Amino acid sequence: MLQNYLKIAWKVLLRRKFFTFISLFGISFTLMILMVATAMIDHVTGPATPEKRLDRMLFVNFIKMTGKSGNMNTFPSYYYMNHYVKRLKTPEKISVTTTFRGVNSYVNNKRLSLDLKFTDANFWEVLDFNFLEGQPFNQQDQKNANRVAVITDHARDQYFGPNVSAVGKYMVADGIRYRVTGVVEDVSYSRFNSYANIWVPLSTAPYNKDDTGLTGSYMAIILADSKADIPKIKEEYQSIVKQVKLPNPKEFDKFYSHTESILEGTIVRQLLGDGENSGMGKFIAIISVVVFLFMLMPTINLVNINVSRIMERSSEIGVRKAFGASSNTLIGQFLVENIFLTLIGGLLGFLLSALVLEIIADSGLIPYAQLGLNIRVFGIGLGLSLIFGFISGVYPAYKMSKLQAVQALKGGQV
Amino acid sequence: MIRHLFTLIWNRKKSNFLMITEIFFSFIVLFGVLSLAFFYLDNYRKPLGFEYDRVWVMNMRWNQEKPEEVRNIQYRLKQQLKSNPEVAQVALAASNIPYTMNTSNTGFNYNNRFTMADWFTVDKDFAEVMQVDVAAGRWFTTEDNAAGTKAIIINQALRNEIFPDENPVGKVIREKDNPDRKIVGVVEIFRQKGEYSSDKPGYFEYLNTDYASNGTAGGTLDNLMIRVKPGVTRAFEEKLMKQASQIAQGWTIEIKTMNEMRTSDNKITLIPLVIFSVVCGFLILNVALGLFGVLWYNINRRISEIGLRRAVGAASGQVYRQFIGEVLVLATFGIIIGIIIALQFPLLQVFGVQTGVYVAAILGSVLVIYLLAAGCAAYPSQQAASITPATALHEE
Repeated sequence: MLQNYLKIAWKVLLRRKFFTFISLFGISFTLMILMVATAMIDHVTGPATPEKRLDRMLFVNFIKMTGKSGNMNTFPSYYYMNHYVKRLKTPEKISVTTTFRGVNSYVNNKRLSLDLKFTDANFWEVLDFNFLEGQPFNQQDQKNANRVAVITDHARDQYFGPNVSAVGKYMVADGIRYRVTGVVEDVSYSRFNSYANIWVPLSTAPYNKDDTGLTGSYMAIILADSKADIPKIKEEYQSIVKQVKLPNPKEFDKFYSHTESILEGTIVRQLLGDGENSGMGKFIAIISVVVFLFMLMPTINLVNINVSRIMERSSEIGVRKAFGASSNTLIGQFLVENIFLTLIGGLLGFLLSALVLEIIADSGLIPYAQLGLNIRVFGIGLGLSLIFGFISGVYPAYKMSKLQAVQALKGGQV
Repeated sequence: MIRHLFTLIWNRKKSNFLMITEIFFSFIVLFGVLSLAFFYLDNYRKPLGFEYDRVWVMNMRWNQEKPEEVRNIQYRLKQQLKSNPEVAQVALAASNIPYTMNTSNTGFNYNNRFTMADWFTVDKDFAEVMQVDVAAGRWFTTEDNAAGTKAIIINQALRNEIFPDENPVGKVIREKDNPDRKIVGVVEIFRQKGEYSSDKPGYFEYLNTDYASNGTAGGTLDNLMIRVKPGVTRAFEEKLMKQASQIAQGWTIEIKTMNEMRTSDNKITLIPLVIFSVVCGFLILNVALGLFGVLWYNINRRISEIGLRRAVGAASGQVYRQFIGEVLVLATFGIIIGIIIALQFPLLQVFGVQTGVYVAAILGSVLVIYLLAAGCAAYPSQQAASITPATALHEE
């Protein structure tokens, strides 16, 4: 049965090639744009090297204080990390790093701008970097505050020359000499929890040991034993947050901090959050409305074309009705045909989005980004195609099925 | 004739409903993109209020030095940089210099008038480095070092909001929790966010960075603005960097030319417009193709009607005009609904954008939609018009 429907669908597609082209153009471009958008969101928030075990990771990026002096939303200090975040018992490992900062190196009188991040040794165990050569610095380096560094292959190529081994060599950044212990693949600029071109031990970071302020430029990555521990860690963290002593309650009397996924904590909360609530519900609602509005126009267009196209086949419908086909059978058939069409469009859209992502990656818009399609994006694209095909098929199919057999045979109007 | 066309479309409103909806949505999307484009264009034509060419910016990040120590280092750094023959002038400014993402704003209160204003903390050499012209009053001088009141220079946009019909120079703004601010001058315009931003209320606040005369007072500023003399190349940068790292040991120092900063900042501003335009272009093209297909199909279905009209003496031109006319009337229905929605933006002042921008966007959208509709109808209508009565009547 299904096979027959598909055969008919194929023949219909070939009959009026211009209409087929219009339909496919609309479907494939609509899905392409949606898939590119999905891939971009996935690029920033989905698991990717080195943040591969995202389902077991939580991040502490911001602290928020409110009070008489207004709002303050900023990175926490080293003191905060050491005295509060490190109190967490449930996680398997906690890695504390600074935000990345620009440093300058000079190679043959030419400036090389690099981004440097101070990290502890746990960083290399929590994240899964691809080492091209050498290895990360270890707890000993961290303890002794050794001037050692892990660099990316981009930094190596620029500083030491393309594909020259760098391990064991020295590199000067902002006037400080570091011994290179390892070289890793580039990390995309958009992964700001792990991104840098050069990573050095946290113990070498310039910070004031007496400073007991809460604000600074530090962040933490928390790795849980298993996915099931995530809610426990969140709970434990909130109980720690309650104990935080505010240095100046006259200025700020409320303190918020959360340990969350990248999407919820780093993006949504910063845009829509209000201290307590992360604004995730609002975010999903906004995204849904935008996607709905965006898909509305192509859908109406497709419905419009489908209505016209279906009328061409009124005599076929008439014959089938006269021989006893029920409305539901006809609706089913037409829906199958339409979903078949949108799946072809979806496939084209998938190819097109691969092309567009390639172009975006090459344009250098996001430094060191490796954009690509993966199984998650494909799954979402497939789902969108099916929804799209279903919505744009239902109304024309319903109209068609309402046609009286006699009128249909005469080639009647809808 | 036109009334007749309206009746024709109205009679088939049910089957034309989808097409009208499509045109309506196209209009709205187009209106959105054109509003943004005209907004940028309108801003682009206004003066910036400063000159970015040959300005280099040295951004400084210090460690745990005490504020006083930082000021001392910054003061010495400024003197050192200025002593280079390649440098014309050096100034210190807060982090919200032109072409950065940083903003500082605050409420501005005077005589029961209130507005939000951007504020830029600078020293007295800033005007010379950035070539800011003072329209009334004067720029900051050492006279303003006197403690107690803070000298400020407001821009014309702020003046229009707060001092619509009086001379602001010499006025003192007193607020409960802040030190008094005295207006010493007015600048025409200063658009920190660059070419594509609108002209917003703002003011400069004076900070005395002369450590020698003012050791403990004042504050710390993040940026050294350097105006280099003509003909100075990027090779000078390393020399600056060396001088800086000797004086400010252990600080993180970054040098950028304002040209560089401008390019990357404008890119960030323009990328949303480019993405919207591409998506909008695709949606409109999609609708146009759909419209073309549906019109073609519908007109083909009306061959017998055309034959009849031709047989009773209608010229092919008349048939052609009828079909084009019908489509334009169809478009009019969509556009009217669209305009009703679009007019709410200037009426409600949703984004505080000038009404002229919206009007231009509405007119532009109307024009594009009509052109598009006529373009889509041209070929099918021409085909309809070229049908001879004999073949058409034969159809039935």
